[in-house]
Amino acid sequence: MPLVKVPKPKFIEKVQRFFMVDLLRGLRLTLKYNIGALTGSDPVAGKGIYTEQYPKVRPDVAPRFHGAPRLNMDPETHDTLCIACNLCAIACPEDCIDVIPLDIEIMVAGKPRKKKVLDEFIFDTSRCMFCALCQEACPTYCLELTQDFELATYSRAGFVWNREMLEQGRETVKYTR
Amino acid sequence: MLFFLPIDFVDQMLLKFFSADTVNHVVWPFIQVVLVISLVTGWVAAANYLERKVSAFMQARLGPMRVGPWGILQPIADGIKLLTKEDFIPDKADRWIFFIAPYIAVAAAFIVFVVVPFGPDWAVIADLNIGLLFVLAVSSVGVLALILAGWSSNSKYSLLGALRSSAQMISYEVAMGLSLIGALMFARTLSLSSIVNAQSGDSIWFLLYQPLGFLIFLVSGIAENNRAPFDLPEAESELVAGFHTEYSGFRWSLFFMAEYAAMVVVSAVAVTVYLGGWYFPFVYRLTEAKGYHNLYVIVSLLVFLVKLSGILYLYFWLRWTLPRFRYDQLMDIGWKWLIPASLINVGTSAISIFVVQALDGWRGMKTIESLSGGLNLTGTGKGVMIVLGLAGLGVTGLLLGRINWRSRDFNLKSQRRNIRLVNIPQGKPAVPAVASEG
Repeated sequence: MPLVKVPKPKFIEKVQRFFMVDLLRGLRLTLKYNIGALTGSDPVAGKGIYTEQYPKVRPDVAPRFHGAPRLNMDPETHDTLCIACNLCAIACPEDCIDVIPLDIEIMVAGKPRKKKVLDEFIFDTSRCMFCALCQEACPTYCLELTQDFELATYSRAGFVWNREMLEQGRETVKYTR
Repeated sequence: MLFFLPIDFVDQMLLKFFSADTVNHVVWPFIQVVLVISLVTGWVAAANYLERKVSAFMQARLGPMRVGPWGILQPIADGIKLLTKEDFIPDKADRWIFFIAPYIAVAAAFIVFVVVPFGPDWAVIADLNIGLLFVLAVSSVGVLALILAGWSSNSKYSLLGALRSSAQMISYEVAMGLSLIGALMFARTLSLSSIVNAQSGDSIWFLLYQPLGFLIFLVSGIAENNRAPFDLPEAESELVAGFHTEYSGFRWSLFFMAEYAAMVVVSAVAVTVYLGGWYFPFVYRLTEAKGYHNLYVIVSLLVFLVKLSGILYLYFWLRWTLPRFRYDQLMDIGWKWLIPASLINVGTSAISIFVVQALDGWRGMKTIESLSGGLNLTGTGKGVMIVLGLAGLGVTGLLLGRINWRSRDFNLKSQRRNIRLVNIPQGKPAVPAVASEG
């Protein structure tokens, strides 16, 4: 009873082995890659080199990638678009958003009225899972998850973003080529 | 001509201070030696960069990019790093041998360049009449360095790597030496410059007469240099780094230099013996015949370097294409294929030369032009010789294939037959189950 089945080589396989056809095929493949890298063309993806030179050249992230949060502002008046409705905080499954409103008195048609405006916005990126449900909930398109992915900091406290960081963006070292 | 004037000018200036003998036998050789050593060390630095780049391109990567434009200063950074590293010596190592081994490796690799003909006339340091023997003899001293390094390191990986490398180098040395004999039959000399002259006088490469000899020489040369796919002595996955596991810093870089210099040596011999050395058609007619002697030498030098870099690219190319051999496969190729093939090659080249000589004068055929300065053949003779060379390749392959058919793959066939005979009873456990208590 044979335990190991050894298929007999066909004649063409013997000939191929004799002339080392597989070796030549391998050499052709590596040479093709080498030439493709030098000329910047590749039969598979149209480019020869797949390495990204990350800090100097920004990588292209996927179009639906969610990254660092941002609070958008009115482009004309530079006031915040946030109306402190707290919908994002309710939508958040991780409870990482804290909206702290402030009641101010304004005059509407000569009568004093109370209005809720945004005082402080706390966003804990260490707990955020970038599901973008807050972005979905926002009625004024204020809170948005951008495609910036450099979120690392030196301490746990650095993960908690306040209103200023959310509006201005965080300062990172910019490398040039 | 004006551009190459300094060589003659320097010669005349030197003759004012020294006698003609001193200039010809001391000063110029010294300058040549310095040039060759700087050329080879420059090559080692360049090879470090080129190998990383070629490997990167073959794997669709970029390779070193940060130091200088396109990472071109990377070898300098590597060199500074190696020089500033701790020169570590293991406890209980044999200190003297541990110190000496890398220097033996470098010396053995560099001394060979004395006879390598980079070009005609002044581009070769010493044209020994036993050139090829000298190359084989000195380059095989390199294995001594590996054995000493492995033995003195007092480490199991080093020792295993050294033993492997000595076994490998001794097996492949034989095939390497024997494969050259076929080409020597055509050149009728051992001097490397005269071998090139024999090819340029006949305006042919010995590769065409000796395709089998070239293949054997190339394979055994790669094995001799411990390069992939024959890099068993420094197999990273098995032996850490082989014989230089315990070496660091400058001494390690000496081993590195020796490896790359040995690569250049084998490629240079392959180019000289099989690819016509510095000979290229029309170069002589366009330069030397018109009186531009130094231009002729420099163009020939460039031709030699281009051919050399072709073979060296083949080294990189093979390294990043083929996986490493198993140890029994390595010995299999060496002893069952290459050594018999090189012996058969000696026989077939002798027979083919005999046939060509016999054909000379048969029914008015003219095959041999003259016998001065190697075997000079006419057009018909060359054609017959090329056909006979290819026929020798086929005959050798068929013969060895027939001989080795039964013993292929470390006699795997008989192993398989034994496996077939084993009949394990199925459905019955080997150890009877113990009845559980309670």
